[in-house]
Amino acid sequence: MSANKIMIIDDEKIVGDMAKLSLEQEGYVVETFLSAEPALERLKEEKFDVVVTDLKMKGIDGMEVLRTVKRLYPKTKVIMITAFANLDSAIEALRGDVHDFFPKPVRIKELKVSIQRALNGVQ
Amino acid sequence: MKNVLEKIKSFLGTSKKEDGGSLPIKAVFKSFKEVLENNSRALEIIADMGEKLGGDYLFDINYIKGAYSELAGTVSNSLQNFDALTANKYLKLHDVFGHVDSQIKRLIYDVTPTPGVMVLSFKDITWNMFRDVGGKNAALAEMSNYLRLNIPGGFAITTSAFDEFVAENGLQERIRAIHDSSPADDRIFEEMRSLIMNGTIPEELDSAISGAVETIRETFGRDCFLAVRSSAEEEDGEHSFAGQFETVLNVPLDVKAVEDAYKKVLASLYLPGSVAYQAGLGYRIGDIKMAVGCMIMVDAVKSGVLYTVAPNGDRDIVVINSTWGLGSLIVEGQTDADMFMVKKEIEPELLGAKSGKKEFMVVNRKDGGVEKTKTSEDLAGIPSLTTEEVMELARQAVYIEKHFRKPQDIEWAFDKAGRLFILQARPLRGMEATEAGGIRHERFAEATETLMKDKGTVVQKGAGAGRVFVLRHPGEMDKFPKGSVLVSKYDSSNFVRIMPYVSAIITDVGVPTSHMASLCREFRVPTVVNAGDATRIFEHGQEVTVVIDEDGVTVYDGIVKELLKDNGKDSLKMEELYEYRKRRYVLRYISMLNLVDPTQDNFSPEGCRTLHDVIRFMHEKAVTELVVNAGRGNEIIKQHAAVKLDLTVPAGIVAIDIGGGLDISEGAGKAGFEQILSVPLRAVTRGMMHPGVWHADSVSLKVGDFFSSMIRMPDLTADRSEYVGYNVAVVSGEYLNLSIRFGYHFTVLDCYCSENARNNHIYFRFIGGATDMAKRSRRVEIISSVIRNFGFSVMVKGDLLIGRLANINRDEMEGILDQLGRLMAFTRQLDAVLNDDASVEFFAGNFMEGKYTI
Repeated sequence: MSANKIMIIDDEKIVGDMAKLSLEQEGYVVETFLSAEPALERLKEEKFDVVVTDLKMKGIDGMEVLRTVKRLYPKTKVIMITAFANLDSAIEALRGDVHDFFPKPVRIKELKVSIQRALNGVQ
Repeated sequence: MKNVLEKIKSFLGTSKKEDGGSLPIKAVFKSFKEVLENNSRALEIIADMGEKLGGDYLFDINYIKGAYSELAGTVSNSLQNFDALTANKYLKLHDVFGHVDSQIKRLIYDVTPTPGVMVLSFKDITWNMFRDVGGKNAALAEMSNYLRLNIPGGFAITTSAFDEFVAENGLQERIRAIHDSSPADDRIFEEMRSLIMNGTIPEELDSAISGAVETIRETFGRDCFLAVRSSAEEEDGEHSFAGQFETVLNVPLDVKAVEDAYKKVLASLYLPGSVAYQAGLGYRIGDIKMAVGCMIMVDAVKSGVLYTVAPNGDRDIVVINSTWGLGSLIVEGQTDADMFMVKKEIEPELLGAKSGKKEFMVVNRKDGGVEKTKTSEDLAGIPSLTTEEVMELARQAVYIEKHFRKPQDIEWAFDKAGRLFILQARPLRGMEATEAGGIRHERFAEATETLMKDKGTVVQKGAGAGRVFVLRHPGEMDKFPKGSVLVSKYDSSNFVRIMPYVSAIITDVGVPTSHMASLCREFRVPTVVNAGDATRIFEHGQEVTVVIDEDGVTVYDGIVKELLKDNGKDSLKMEELYEYRKRRYVLRYISMLNLVDPTQDNFSPEGCRTLHDVIRFMHEKAVTELVVNAGRGNEIIKQHAAVKLDLTVPAGIVAIDIGGGLDISEGAGKAGFEQILSVPLRAVTRGMMHPGVWHADSVSLKVGDFFSSMIRMPDLTADRSEYVGYNVAVVSGEYLNLSIRFGYHFTVLDCYCSENARNNHIYFRFIGGATDMAKRSRRVEIISSVIRNFGFSVMVKGDLLIGRLANINRDEMEGILDQLGRLMAFTRQLDAVLNDDASVEFFAGNFMEGKYTI
């Protein structure tokens, strides 16, 4: 079985860098993007198993990412991470088809558990 | 009625009284509490930032901005109250706070030096400026400003200066010509070197260098020389450029000479070897911006180079090459130097030494420059380093490697006074350790005996091993063997002294937001607090392996090397991320603690370098201020209703309640023990009344003239004459300041005993006595011995004793205060029977066992 593919979208480089480093240790294949536009382009080429995206970003935001992902790949799980101040929007996202959401800073261990559950099909 | 009015008046009083006297005690206490509460909140934020930036969390800059903004606000609030408390005694602290705050903001908002800054003193360089000063200068500044290692003073000439020099001399065109001509021939580089050597130093740069040279003269004297070195490396030394650029040694402290040396270093960008090297690495010739470091030339007796990894890649070994005089021959590989191999064990161990011929040596010439001379036969024949020097080098090498988290190539020198200087440290490329496989320590629970499992509150995760050192009182820290596991009842910020050398820390009590805790996170020392009875479970000298993970601390018998390999692997990997390091760096201005010992000279506003320092300083001085203010019993007694305490022993205490200390009706003149609500007063008086400690044959409470002047007993005024001869307790629900005079000695006990351990303190001062000095000193010794057992740090001078204890939880503190009450009662007249030194141990031992007969 080939490794599961995870996409990380966050406009701050440190988030993607740290997530990539941690998740690759778990054996995932990870790609990171600093904005939604190139990420969505990439998604057109290939399916990812889990997309972890920031909610608030310049240009296309996390909600839009969620809608596009779900349209392209209904089975791909989306995990939303957001600044604590944007919690209300996150809850709104939760009503949509988001698998999980976390306020930042998010404990990497919890994110890993969430990704594992997403891959196992556990909500 | 009058008293009530006074109470209200004093409560409302916000600043100095109209007559210029002191603040009312209630206002003082209110400011004190505000300082404590704000500091407490600040330390919580610092601890949270330490955790969130520790590598276990994904965080973004918004988190740092938000957390810092709250932190700065809290410290600022604390400062305002501190000013009120100390009547603006420490206004300098505002400047310090302002400076640190701007440094932090510079990091958070990623501001580099003002564009165009041409010269920066090493002490003003921070790590994020490596693009401006080059990697070598940034590393030197880091070792000096942060690691506090001995680095020669000096300054950096920035890349902005380089740009100006290039512009001033029209070199940009030439560089374009180099880019266009492919392949460029050697003549064009030779021409560049000549243009640079004959180039004009821009006026602004000239005046900046003059200023820097003048500062060196003022600071270090006129007789020093400079070493002028290239600093072109990237931040993490991706490419070392080792030996590619010019270094000019022993340059006279003269602007022209420095500028010539500067140009010589710049010109070395176009030396044939250097050009080939740059091209080989894929650089376009002319693209590298050269910063330069000018540092004071060490008058070296011996120098050399060391690697923190063996040539075969063994990372447990430090290899030191050493020779007489300057190290340039070693750097250039031209001499048969001495070699020492040291094992990086818990205590460094000399594995082997090879004596070289050291035929030639390089020395500083008196008029500048260096010369190569033949080494005298008696010197050439003996090793250039003593064993102690080898060990010192090894220890510093390990410290530097641990800090930069990569194998290091370090240049060093010992001067005539035997002082070790670090001249350069850069990462050794291609020597990164191969990764150890992840080993889960659950497996070892079966293989080796588990002494402690999943206990305590985690401060810093990780693993460490070594011999247990059970610290009974702070004075023993001098004996701490490097590499040991520190086991202590309490935590203490004094541990910072041993932090680079400690393998792990376990304390019986403590909180994860203490000063020590944030130091442990900063130094990445595996630490757990609140682990219960560690001081009883572990034996002094026993070898153990400590593993701290989310669940707490697990301790195995013996040294389990496999567990250590896994130590901090995740966070080490995070450190490899530039973005992560950059963000985390802000903690250096926040959580690092430099003010450790209040008795040291640097314990001043000027000594504060971080917010943690500022907080620590305020805390210490706030307590002092309170002790002084609350100790002015005579003034306070004029302002407040005083209540006689009706106890079962004639302690003669009157209490002044400044809020919630006594449960009595207005105007009542007396309070019994049951009416004492003040937690600390209750504990102390309970101790005094403990059966057997108070011996009835007390001396009368009169004051000898000599002693009254010496001990500054409050001279109670006539209008309050009914309180003459009484001891005064200023109390609130959580606070007690007790000034007690029993016979001819005088005790001050100041304590704050709240639910928040971090805010709690006990200050205990004891002085005087009627007997001869020897007997009085013996009594002080007994008291010192007893309170050290409770964890106090103690300072004794003759018959004066000052003991301090902080950061303990309420229950523990009540127990200690009870014991202090007993001690004060027990030792009242003890000096009279202390006829010989042996009696000190006898009575101290008896007291600890609860035997109070005299």
